Amino acid sequence: MTPILPAYSLMDHDIARARPLPTTGVGASLQRKEDRRFLAGEGEFVGNIKLPGMLHVAFARSAVAHGRILAVHKPAGFEDAVFTMADLEAGSPPVGPIRVLSSLPGFKPSSQWPLARDKVRQVGEPIAMCVAASRAEAEDIADAVVADIEDLPAVVDMLEARDAPPALVHEEWGDNIFLETLVEGGLKGDAFEALKRGAAVKVHRRLRTARQSMAPMEGRGVVCSWNTRLDQLEMHTAAQMPHINRAGLSETLGIDQASIRVIAPDVGGGFGYKGILLPEEICLAWLTRHIGRPVKWIEDRREQLIANTNCREHHYDITVYADARGRLLAIDCDSVIDSGAYSSYPFSACLEAAQVGSILPGPYKMEAFRCRTWSVSTNKPPILPYRGVARAGVCFAIETMVDAAARAAGVEPHEARLASLIEADEMPYDNITRKHFDSGDYPEAIRRAMQAIDLPRWRARQGAAEPDGRLIGVGHAVFCEQAAHGTSVYYGWGIPMVPGHEQCGARMTPDGRLELRIGAQSHGQSLETTLAQVANEILGIDPDHVRLVHGDTGMTPYSTGTWGSRSMVMSGGAVAEACALMVERVRDIAAHLFQVPLDQVMLAQGRVSDRAGGHSLTLAELAHVWYRQPQRLPPGVNPAGLEVIGGYKARVDTGTFSYACHAVAVAVDPGTGAVELLDYVIVEDAGTLVNPMVVDGQIYGGTAQGIGTALFEEMRYDSQGQPLASTLADYMLPGATEVPAPRIIHMETPSPYTTFGQKGMGEGGAIAPGAAIANAVNDALRPLGAELTELPMSPRRVMAAIAASRAGGVIGSPHAAKGQAA
Amino acid sequence: MTTIRLTVNGRAIEADVQPRTHLADFLREQQLLTGTNLGCEHGVCGACTLEIDGAPARSCITYAIDCDGASVRTIEGFGGDAPMAALRAAFSAEHALQCGYCTPGMLVTARDIVIRLPGVPEDRIRKELSGNLCRCTGYAGIVRAIRAVMAQSGTPSGPSLASTEPFASTAP
Repeated sequence: MTPILPAYSLMDHDIARARPLPTTGVGASLQRKEDRRFLAGEGEFVGNIKLPGMLHVAFARSAVAHGRILAVHKPAGFEDAVFTMADLEAGSPPVGPIRVLSSLPGFKPSSQWPLARDKVRQVGEPIAMCVAASRAEAEDIADAVVADIEDLPAVVDMLEARDAPPALVHEEWGDNIFLETLVEGGLKGDAFEALKRGAAVKVHRRLRTARQSMAPMEGRGVVCSWNTRLDQLEMHTAAQMPHINRAGLSETLGIDQASIRVIAPDVGGGFGYKGILLPEEICLAWLTRHIGRPVKWIEDRREQLIANTNCREHHYDITVYADARGRLLAIDCDSVIDSGAYSSYPFSACLEAAQVGSILPGPYKMEAFRCRTWSVSTNKPPILPYRGVARAGVCFAIETMVDAAARAAGVEPHEARLASLIEADEMPYDNITRKHFDSGDYPEAIRRAMQAIDLPRWRARQGAAEPDGRLIGVGHAVFCEQAAHGTSVYYGWGIPMVPGHEQCGARMTPDGRLELRIGAQSHGQSLETTLAQVANEILGIDPDHVRLVHGDTGMTPYSTGTWGSRSMVMSGGAVAEACALMVERVRDIAAHLFQVPLDQVMLAQGRVSDRAGGHSLTLAELAHVWYRQPQRLPPGVNPAGLEVIGGYKARVDTGTFSYACHAVAVAVDPGTGAVELLDYVIVEDAGTLVNPMVVDGQIYGGTAQGIGTALFEEMRYDSQGQPLASTLADYMLPGATEVPAPRIIHMETPSPYTTFGQKGMGEGGAIAPGAAIANAVNDALRPLGAELTELPMSPRRVMAAIAASRAGGVIGSPHAAKGQAA
Repeated sequence: MTTIRLTVNGRAIEADVQPRTHLADFLREQQLLTGTNLGCEHGVCGACTLEIDGAPARSCITYAIDCDGASVRTIEGFGGDAPMAALRAAFSAEHALQCGYCTPGMLVTARDIVIRLPGVPEDRIRKELSGNLCRCTGYAGIVRAIRAVMAQSGTPSGPSLASTEPFASTAP
C-alpha cells in the first residue's frame, strides 16, 4: 500500500531541536491520558473482573520434570469438579494440542496438550483443571488430585541435551533438537580459512546467559464466559496479542474465529510474557462452555516462576578474528538456545535462534560470518521472546568479544568499535547478513558516550588504588534494535505468524470527538496518549478529545498485536493514515456546507474553515451537521461519512533500526564479588520521538530490566529439573537501590521509511546492560587476570572467576573453567 | 468463619471471614475494593501495600482476622488527602507509572516517605522504596516524583546520587 501521507520532511537532530517544542502533537512530552485511573486504583485488570455466577479454577500441576503419566485420580466426591485431557478430548469437537511449526526445513514439531496427556515434560505442566466456588477451594481440590507418574531422566542442560542426552523430551524425534540452522555471509570456504590464518587477532570464548523469568508485576489471568445471544466465547485475558490468542483458541478448540471474542483489559506489564497462547486459556474456554458458568483463573507468582514460560538461555562457542588495530574481520560461532519443552504459540521454538544467526554481526562491518544454531528441547518451560528477544544475548556475545579482541590488540575498546562500525555516510546499509540499516550515526553515539562517561578520568582513577580496595572498571556496548520488522523478516525466519499491514478504524462521534480502534494492545507503552498525539498532529484535534479502543477483537481491526517495538511505527502509521482520510472527509463535507471549492477548505487546530475566512466550523459543529442535520447536506456529498479505515505498512518493511551506546563505570569488590554501578550513560537514537517523556520512560525501564539480566536474575534448576526459584525472594528482581538513574542523551536521526521518522524503541534499554556491565567488570578484573563469561554476574560468579584466575591463570567463569576455556 | 469488626477507608465494617483469608483477598473479593493489586502473595513485591493503623503494611501476608479492631486505608481511601494528591500529580508529571499495576502500593509507600522522612537524600528514598518492585519504570520517575513533592512542601530532598548528576558522590 502506498501511504496517503507525504513522507514527513526529514530533520536532522539539530534542526529538530531548534523547532519550538510542540505541546500536543508529535514531539510533545504530553502527560499520559491513562494515568488517572491507575493513580486512583481504578485500573481494570483481569483479576478485578467479576461476573455473576463465576467459578474459580486451580490447576493440579506436575511435580516432576519428566515422566510418563500412568493414571490421574480425581478425588472422591469431586469427580464433577476435576477435568483431565481425556475430558477435553471427549467433547465435540475435541480439544487439540498446541502445535507451532517453523517453516524452516528440518524443524521438528512438538504437541503441547492443554492438560498433559501421556507424558509430562516440565515441572508445573498442568495435569488437571479443578473448579470451585472460590480459588482457595479449587486449590484444595487440586491438592487432592493424585497423578501416578513413572519418572524419566530429566534433560536439564542444553549442551547435554544436544550432545549426550539422558533422555528424549519428544521420543519420536530421535534427538532433542527442534531445529539446526546455518547462516553464512561474505567470504566462504578457502577464502574464509585464509582470512582466519592471516588475522592478527583471534579470540575464542564460551559464553552463557542465564534462563530468566520476564516477571511482569501482574501475572497471566483469564475470565471467560459463553455469550448465548451471540453464541460466542467472551474471554478477558491478560494478553499482548488478543487477535493471535483468538486465532490460537480457534485452532485448538475447533471453533470458528467469529465465535470467539478476546479482550485484553488493562494489562499489568507484558515484556513478551503475555505474547503467547496459554494452555490455561484453552482449558477455561472449554470449561465455561462445558459447565455453562463464567470461570476465572489468575496465575499466582509461584505458577509464573515454576510453570510458565521463561526466556533468554543462550550458549555461544564463538571465535572473533580482527586485525592488529582490533578491526573486526570475521565471526565464527556455534550457538545453542534452550527452547524448553514445547514450541510456543505463535513465535515457535526457533525465533530466538533465527535472530542469533542473523543479528550477531550487530552494526559491524566484516568480511566473513558463519553462525550455526541449535534450538534444543529440555525439560524446562518453553521460552518466549523477552524484551529485546535474542538481542540481549547477542549483544553480550559480540560486545564482550569486541572488548576481548581490543584487549588482545592492545587498543581501547571504543577504538576497535569505531574501526568496525557502519558509518553514517554509508546509510542505508545492507550488512553481511543482509540486514537493511535504515539510518543513523553509530560512531557518533560511541563518541558522545565516551565523552559523557569521561573515559580519561576513569582511566586515571584506575591508576590509583581505591581506599576501600575495590577495583574500578569502565565499559560500554553498542547495539542495534531492529523494530517493527515486517512481512519479509518474519517469513524469512520461518515464524508461523507473519505481520502484514496494520489498520486503524477512526470514527468521529456526533459531538466531534474521535474514536481510534487499533488491534495492538497498550500495557504500559502509553499508546492511549501517543496515538492521540498522532491524531492531533494530523487532525489538529485536542488529544483529550481522542479515545483509543484497543485490545478487543470484537471492536478493532486485526493485528498481530504489541510486540517487537512495533506499535509506534505500525499503529502510529495506521492512525496517521486514518486521520489523513478523516481530514479529506471533513474537508469534503465542509466544502459542501461552505459552498466553496474543495481546495479552499483547510483544517487547522481542530477547526475547518475556508481560506477566504468567511466560514468556520469546529469539528463538533461539523459532526453535528453530518449526523443530526443531514437535511443541510447537498446531494453529492461523500456518503461514507465520518468513519474510515486507514491502513499502513512502512515503505521498506524490514524494520527500523534504533540504536544506542550504553557506557558504565563500576566498582567490583574482590572480597565479596559485589558490583556497584557508579555511573551509567545512554546515548540513544530512536529517530523522531513522538513523546520524549514516554521514550525516556521506556529507556529507564528497559535498562532496569537489563541490569537484572546483567547482575541478578537467574532461573536455576537442579539436576532433576526442579526449579530453584519459586518466589520473588529467590528470583532477584532489581529494586530502587540496585538501579541507578541513567543519564540519557538523545540523537534523533529519522527513519526514512516511517510516517514521522519514528523508530521502534521499546526494547533497547534491556539489550545492552549485560554487555556494557560485563565489559566494565572485566575491565575492573583485568589486573587480576580474571574474566567473566556468563550472565548474571552474581557475586558467586565474580568470586569464582577470581578464584579460577588465581588457581591457574585460567580466564573464564566457573563454567568455562571446567576445561572449556579458550 | 470468624466475625471481625474493622474500619475500612473510614467506614465501620463487620464481616465474616475464613481464618485463611488474607487481607487483600478480603478487601478485593468481599469489599469489592480492587485497587489493591496482588503481585506475589509472598510479601516481597509490595504491590499490595496499604495502610493499617496509619502505617504501610503488606496486605497479602496479613490475615483478615488479625485486622479485627484495625483501621485499614486502601488506595480508594485517600480522596481528600493532600500529600496523596500531590504525589498523584507528581507521579503523572514525572512519568512514574507505566502499566499501573505497582502504582497503588507504590503511592502508599511514597506517601509514608514524604510524611515520615521529609527532606531525606535520594539514596534514603531509594532504600525506603526497596520493598516495592516496579518492572516498568526503572524507578527514575518514582524517585523524581517523591523528590518533587518533598520540594513542594518546603523540605527538598537533600544532595543526592541522581537527577542531573546521578553519581556525583562517587564519580571521579
